[in-house]
Amino acid sequence: MDIDNLKQISQQSYDIALQKANALKKAESDQIVVYENHIFKADVITICLVKTLAESQTSFFLLDTNYNPVEIKDGAGFLKALIEKNQSSLNAYHQLHQKFRNKRA
Amino acid sequence: MKKGVLLYCFNTSQLAYSRITERCVALIKKHLRLPITVVTNFETFKFMKPMGMVNYKLIENDTKNNRAGKPWYNLERHLAYEHSPYDRTLVIDVDYFCYTDKLLKLMDTENDFLVHKDAHDVMWKTDMRFEREAMLDIVWATVLIFSKTPRVKAIFDTVKLVKDNYYHFCQLYRVSYKNFRNDYAFAIALEQIGGHRDYDIIKDSIAMVPADAKCRVLKENGAVVEWNGKVVSLEDQDIHFLNKDIMYV
Repeated sequence: MDIDNLKQISQQSYDIALQKANALKKAESDQIVVYENHIFKADVITICLVKTLAESQTSFFLLDTNYNPVEIKDGAGFLKALIEKNQSSLNAYHQLHQKFRNKRA
Repeated sequence: MKKGVLLYCFNTSQLAYSRITERCVALIKKHLRLPITVVTNFETFKFMKPMGMVNYKLIENDTKNNRAGKPWYNLERHLAYEHSPYDRTLVIDVDYFCYTDKLLKLMDTENDFLVHKDAHDVMWKTDMRFEREAMLDIVWATVLIFSKTPRVKAIFDTVKLVKDNYYHFCQLYRVSYKNFRNDYAFAIALEQIGGHRDYDIIKDSIAMVPADAKCRVLKENGAVVEWNGKVVSLEDQDIHFLNKDIMYV
């Protein structure tokens, strides 16, 4: 393979990495949830913790993204909201990721 | 509780911010559906096209600041507390385009003052933290959410104090950026009023289009941006355009 081809592949990889970095930032941003007037992030850690707590009790205490304590009175409802937000953000990221893969192919 | 958006818009001899404001207002109406008040001066107001239901507050703005030798009219933001007719106010730069309703949701939080600490360059060519430059974290005064409380009044009063004694505070916090910058003024005020401890923030990163990028397309749901031959498409996310060529797209 000549040097121009190698450069072209490298350039394409850079472009994909750039798009991917922006898409990932967008996905993270899309995971912000406001619940009971507090800011949370619908990320893996929050979902796992809420799921664990909601299995044993209906209401429990949690820290928001600024470490303020919040009483969650409807654990199941909150878990549903978190999962919805998480999956919609990752679904959008997945669609963009498919585009990158097609470009690479 | 009365909620609304406050925008500051002052044309300079180089830039017609009124044109950017027209786009900004249209997106706020579409995605946030909140009342809007534009703080402007008479000269700028004359250039504004009708934008539907928008309130105007005409002031005589301070025109002493500049950036890179060009006029930079950013000296009124510390007055947002007084200028705002709302109980809960969202202040955004007119070059921050809302392509989502994220800020609307953040208006429903109990935090009396919210600001971003993080931003990223969508071309990923620069580090936007400047964190080792000054002795405190910068905040991005691009987006401010506040309620009218005595504590928030104290924050704005401190921003005014910082503005009036900016050189002193720059020395104190080792801020090398000597032209008045709201980002540092608010960072210092939050640090001081927060008892030199943490304060609540929006744990999110603002997507920033760098000043030397070109905006190829402005779409209904985003933009296509180019810098140095690299092109990125940004959709369904809020974007802060540091490049002012958006007014010509």
